[in-house]
Amino acid sequence: MATARRGFLSALACLLLAGIAVGAQEGGARPAQIAGCPSKSSDFYPCAKAKAAAFKPPRNPDGTPNMNGAWNPVTANGSQNIEDYKGDAFLNPQVSLIVDPPDGKVPYLPQYANKRQDNWDHYIDPIGACWLAGVPRQVYAPRGIAIVQAPNVFAFVGEFAHEYRIIPTDNSPHIGASLRLLMGDSRGHWEGDTLVVDTTNLTDRTWLSISGHFHSDALHVSERFTLVNADTILYETTLVDAKAYTRPWTMAMPIIRFEKGHEVWEEPCIESDHDLPDLTREHKIWLGLPPQ
Amino acid sequence: MRIALFVLMLLQASSVSAQQRSALPRTSDGKPDLNGVWQALTTANFDIQDHAARLGVPAGQGIVEGNDIPYQPWARAKKEENFRNSATLDHEAKCFLLGVPRTMYAPFPFQIVQSPAYIAVFSEYAHTTRSIFMNSEHPPGPIEWFMGDSRGHWEGDTLVVDVRHFTDQTWFDRAGNFHSADLHVVERYTLSTPDHIQYEATIEDPNVFTRPWKVSFPLYRRKEQHVRILEYECYAYDQEERARRGELGPR
Repeated sequence: MATARRGFLSALACLLLAGIAVGAQEGGARPAQIAGCPSKSSDFYPCAKAKAAAFKPPRNPDGTPNMNGAWNPVTANGSQNIEDYKGDAFLNPQVSLIVDPPDGKVPYLPQYANKRQDNWDHYIDPIGACWLAGVPRQVYAPRGIAIVQAPNVFAFVGEFAHEYRIIPTDNSPHIGASLRLLMGDSRGHWEGDTLVVDTTNLTDRTWLSISGHFHSDALHVSERFTLVNADTILYETTLVDAKAYTRPWTMAMPIIRFEKGHEVWEEPCIESDHDLPDLTREHKIWLGLPPQ
Repeated sequence: MRIALFVLMLLQASSVSAQQRSALPRTSDGKPDLNGVWQALTTANFDIQDHAARLGVPAGQGIVEGNDIPYQPWARAKKEENFRNSATLDHEAKCFLLGVPRTMYAPFPFQIVQSPAYIAVFSEYAHTTRSIFMNSEHPPGPIEWFMGDSRGHWEGDTLVVDVRHFTDQTWFDRAGNFHSADLHVVERYTLSTPDHIQYEATIEDPNVFTRPWKVSFPLYRRKEQHVRILEYECYAYDQEERARRGELGPR
């Protein structure tokens, strides 16, 4: 256990240390105020929503709000945890990113009450084995993201493991249900100045956090991206999954611009990951929820 | 009369090419619009040179201009050794990033998302991402990146991308054609019709070759309705197979 966890940590430490420019993000130092709002998700959410409603965003030539650039999900600690957590030798303290339900906890079905702990104890976080982060985790995964916009396309480039997500905003339909993707099939549209993204065709092979939060292959994700000011996005995501949760639930968080000139660079994963044999000595590859 | 006819022909020729140029799709800042899903239709991923068919490999005409790769003598011997060991040594066999220019002719589609300051290239192969930063300088090295560091600018209607800071681990193909970490690639993307990009790359590496050499081939726009980039996560499939067989994980 100790060896494997050290292996896991050394992989994680390499990842985290490599991201010097976003050290604050993963070191647990969270600004108290962002865009004039408290940074804690439950307080940030209503405050940022009100500010966004009054903000006139900079625009691309096609009229859509201009979100091009490099962005940092500064309160997410590199997706270590999404619920309140006091911190321990392995994971930083975390303030819950969940704004609904009001208790800030993932509303798992009763049979999964202990599944997150079981995942942490017995499985490798899929991103530790270099699997794609999935949706919505890609947005708040380690290192931050670049956004690139073109007419009818909105795309994310994640520095972590060179993951990307391309979101058509051209009213095109989802792909057929028989085709499942780790990153799912995302389709977006603009509601006023908010990008609304609907993601289906997901698998149960991705997690929501290093700490083991999970979903089934019935997961359906909606996301909303709204500029609060020129340097802050309010990110909201609602997860619906009747095979894992008792009800839909929602995370909200600020995503702030990196300093001017920050470039999202190549960070290979499997190509430079020598820890897998160590990790798998005592932890299993996550192959989804066992059949019920 | 003969001169007048010649001038008339010239005028017609130039008006046609101007018409073709103006017919190209353009972005709001007036550059050729490279947005879309593209794919090469060569067999270069097997071998970038002219090659006969063998079991599992279709015959193909290569993409190297003049067909000859100007290896230094030691490097030509190394290439032959690579070829013999390619089943285990080639990055593609390990599902690692393929480098540049190989990603552009690997048998997978890629999508270009173009903005004025930044152009992203997203390949279906192992979620390869290329970031092309426009009108900016390479960071000082030494840095070893599988995909190198790409800096772009426009020369007229051609996107020119200068790529440096590579590793020595990627190959040009399964045939063992290789380079060192000092590889320098200059790519040229020219939209020749709305549905074709003429792609050209100059390869320079004084550690391995006696002179610079070029590859060129067309990229074709994928025209299927609603075509999108999917996933080819080969190392994940390999992990899953091994885990199911009990070869990866606690005993």
